[in-house]
Amino acid sequence: MSPAGCSHVNGYKVDNWKQNLRVIYQCFVWSGTAETRRRKAKSCICHMCGAHLNRLHSCLYCVFFGCFTKKHIHEHAKNKRHNLAIDLLYGGIYCFVCQDYIYDKDMEQIAKEEQRKAWKLQGIGEKYTTWEPTKRELELLRHNPKRRKITTNCTIGLRGLINLGNTCFMNCIVQALTHTPLLRDFFLSDRHKCEMQSNSCLVCEMSQLFQEFYSGHRSPHIPFRLLHLVWTHARHLAGYEQQDAHEFLIAALDVLHRHCKGDMIRDDNGKKANNPNHCNCIIDQIFTGGLQSDVTCQVCHGVSTTIDPFWDISLDLPGSSTPFWALSPGGDGSTVNGESHLSGSTTLTDCLRRFTRPEHLGSSAKIKCGGCHSYQESTKQLTMKKLPIVACFHLKRFEHSAKLRRKITTYVSFPLELDMTPFMASSKESRMNGQYQQSVDVLNNDN
Amino acid sequence: MSKEYQMRAAINQKLIEMGERERLKELLRAKLVECGWKDQLKAHCKDVIREKGLEHVTVEDLVTEVTPKGRALVPDSVKKELLQRIRAFLVQHAAL
Repeated sequence: MSPAGCSHVNGYKVDNWKQNLRVIYQCFVWSGTAETRRRKAKSCICHMCGAHLNRLHSCLYCVFFGCFTKKHIHEHAKNKRHNLAIDLLYGGIYCFVCQDYIYDKDMEQIAKEEQRKAWKLQGIGEKYTTWEPTKRELELLRHNPKRRKITTNCTIGLRGLINLGNTCFMNCIVQALTHTPLLRDFFLSDRHKCEMQSNSCLVCEMSQLFQEFYSGHRSPHIPFRLLHLVWTHARHLAGYEQQDAHEFLIAALDVLHRHCKGDMIRDDNGKKANNPNHCNCIIDQIFTGGLQSDVTCQVCHGVSTTIDPFWDISLDLPGSSTPFWALSPGGDGSTVNGESHLSGSTTLTDCLRRFTRPEHLGSSAKIKCGGCHSYQESTKQLTMKKLPIVACFHLKRFEHSAKLRRKITTYVSFPLELDMTPFMASSKESRMNGQYQQSVDVLNNDN
Repeated sequence: MSKEYQMRAAINQKLIEMGERERLKELLRAKLVECGWKDQLKAHCKDVIREKGLEHVTVEDLVTEVTPKGRALVPDSVKKELLQRIRAFLVQHAAL
């Protein structure tokens, strides 16, 4: 099996061969347009037996279609001395002298281009193709022979973090982020192109962090550079006091999002999308969702809708001084939303249900209604318009009131799979699949 | 040419014309990857190549050795689903 084509193919490469070959691909192999499809349907049958199956091949030198399995194309090749044929199913080039498929670079190039064109015409767009290394990449691979093989019992990516003085709030978020698959894949495939002049890019530091985590070292990592950068960019978190893990997550996502300027998608003119509301950085792609707020006037029932982006959803818990709904309907031991339910335990779904319930805003908080042109009482309801790929739910365990600051320790159970469909903004066109699988729990148990 | 064969040819033509054949191929491809069929056959191909020797093996060798196993390993659920799709297509385009 020759990897670099064969000498017999050179006999074909004369005159306008490239264009001829393209036409064959377009008409008989990958027919993109309705017209070529019709022609293919009618004419692609064996000239000897009329079959349309049996691995039909087309002669490259003349208009002849023949079965491969029944050797009809072989006969033609022998009689006419036309040594090359093309497989109409997969586009491979067969040489009858070498008696095998050959892979000529130029022809392969043409084949790929025509296939892509046909896909585009059919609206299939870009498809996944396996990686074909360039010359440069092969060179790099040869110069760096060390390989790491990932097996099923591998512990790669697992590494402890040293506490630098009440930094466990940061450590637990870092652990969560380094095990977010999309984020991991982004950084390990080196997708960050830094445009910051100084050394203070947090995204670069995250990239380093991922390298450390996936280096295979088992010793705990000391994230002093990360801590320093966080202090630099999020002053409110600086110092050795205990901080809130959730605050750190939001601050970190914010700084990463701001520092991702170099990685944003460029439009067709090579200009970067400069709109801060339509950022397409990796952080936004993974974590940003849309929260819909519907305010309904109680008089005219007109609805005013706004949609705000969010990185996390903060959920109230029972046990706080604000009243909470009793357990989900259905009584003891019932099954709601696929979760079996012991009476007395709060579930994540309960919290979400509370979050998305319509709330009467009361007479002291009247909203100016656009329909009534006056201040009226209204109800407000929050629902999910767009779900992020990774959803972060923050349980508000800290209660601040005039007298006390206390931690609410109510147990909240989570399902392994969460169906968000009941909490989505009601929309008949929305066919979004609202199901999540639990990835990470962050429990920062300080005090 | 038998009537059944004529019908097959006519159905095939219709599938190609309407672009449905390509869509079905894509569906089949995705299903076969999902159920692990592709990986199984890939492993088998590697075995055949190792047996025959990398320098001497031809595509024909692989096709002869791998086809029967490939056909046998397709899960019934995948066959059912494809069949359903084709039936649905024929019902839609009943003027054959």
